[in-house]
Amino acid sequence: MKKVLFSNIAYASDASTAIATFNSVDFGFGPLIISTELVTMWAVMLVITVICYLGTKNMQREPKGLQNVLEMGVEMLLNFLSGLMGKKRARMYLPFLMTFFILILVSNYSGLLPMAGHAWVEHGTAIYKPPTSNVNVTGALAFIVFLAVIYYGVKAKGASYFKHFVEPLPFLLPINILEQFTRPLSLALRLYGNVYGEEMVVAALAGLLPFLLPLPIQVLGVLFGAVQAFVFTLLAAMYLEEATAIHEHH
Amino acid sequence: MQLEWSLALGAFVNFFVLLFLLKKFLYKPVLAMLDKRREEVMSNMQKAEDAKNEAEGMLAQYTEQMKDARNEAQEIISNATKIGEQTKTDIVNQAREEAAKLSAKAQEEIQREKAQAIDELRSEVANIAVLAAEKIVAKSINVEDHKAMVNNFVQEVGEAK
Repeated sequence: MKKVLFSNIAYASDASTAIATFNSVDFGFGPLIISTELVTMWAVMLVITVICYLGTKNMQREPKGLQNVLEMGVEMLLNFLSGLMGKKRARMYLPFLMTFFILILVSNYSGLLPMAGHAWVEHGTAIYKPPTSNVNVTGALAFIVFLAVIYYGVKAKGASYFKHFVEPLPFLLPINILEQFTRPLSLALRLYGNVYGEEMVVAALAGLLPFLLPLPIQVLGVLFGAVQAFVFTLLAAMYLEEATAIHEHH
Repeated sequence: MQLEWSLALGAFVNFFVLLFLLKKFLYKPVLAMLDKRREEVMSNMQKAEDAKNEAEGMLAQYTEQMKDARNEAQEIISNATKIGEQTKTDIVNQAREEAAKLSAKAQEEIQREKAQAIDELRSEVANIAVLAAEKIVAKSINVEDHKAMVNNFVQEVGEAK
């Protein structure tokens, strides 16, 4: 305990050293580096899959327990998306959008586990790091949104999807194209910044006093984790809605 | 912030792996269950609606039947009352007739009996008178005279009566 405390203080006093040791647990196969975030992501996926498997392996007409929780979650998001884009499209895009929500939510919360997060990184004992605290992960997720918007847009409207780049006025074309890139960029940076920032504050406070001091921030982390997962999903849903909407005047 | 290609690529692939797994283990079964339940509720509501309509139809039918039955019963009762009334009148009339007939017959009988009795009485009285006179007069008058005398007497008695 004493050693941990000391090293935390050392970390707090010298952040650059800590950042240099971020990937101290990583190992690799040739060009592929299996980083802590990637391992954590697999663990997150495993937990999600096992929970879903257990909740749905024996579906009952009257739901209870885990099945009820899963059904409620799906139904809530389905209703929310229905309000946003209508029942038909909500049903169509639900799997895609809900996967973002679940993955990001559980990823964010994985940073709250013991032995997880940047507070433990500095002395090389971090087993988990929330994947969403790394910009490469959030960037990849945002890139998927970017591709999906184009894919579903073309799928729903064909070539006329590209019409909206010159609407409402043709000279807005460069701005419209730019928007296609700023949107995923903002998605990636918002999520990364929130989770990473929370991690950093917790790490700094844990460096000062590991006991109780980081707790208020971690409690806020529970709230922000859900909010960020929801915001990412909501924005992705809105971009999708816009790309696939069939307007009357077409 | 540093670019880690392995992690970015891993996250990219991971998303689609998870999408595949969740489709299999979450969305498909849950949505199927939600649909099934919705259909069940719909069909139950439809069934309830049908049953309600059927019940209402039957109620109307029964009400109609009840009304018919009541009318019929009323008719039967009024018919029976009428027939009873008629029968009563008939019986009373018949009885009255019968009684009148009987009464007339009795009257006649009495009349006849009375006449017969008077005749019998007459001859009886004549004989008794003859006997009495015989005893008193003691053969002073012959039988012819005697009979004529008594007959006269009886005649007188009859007329006096």
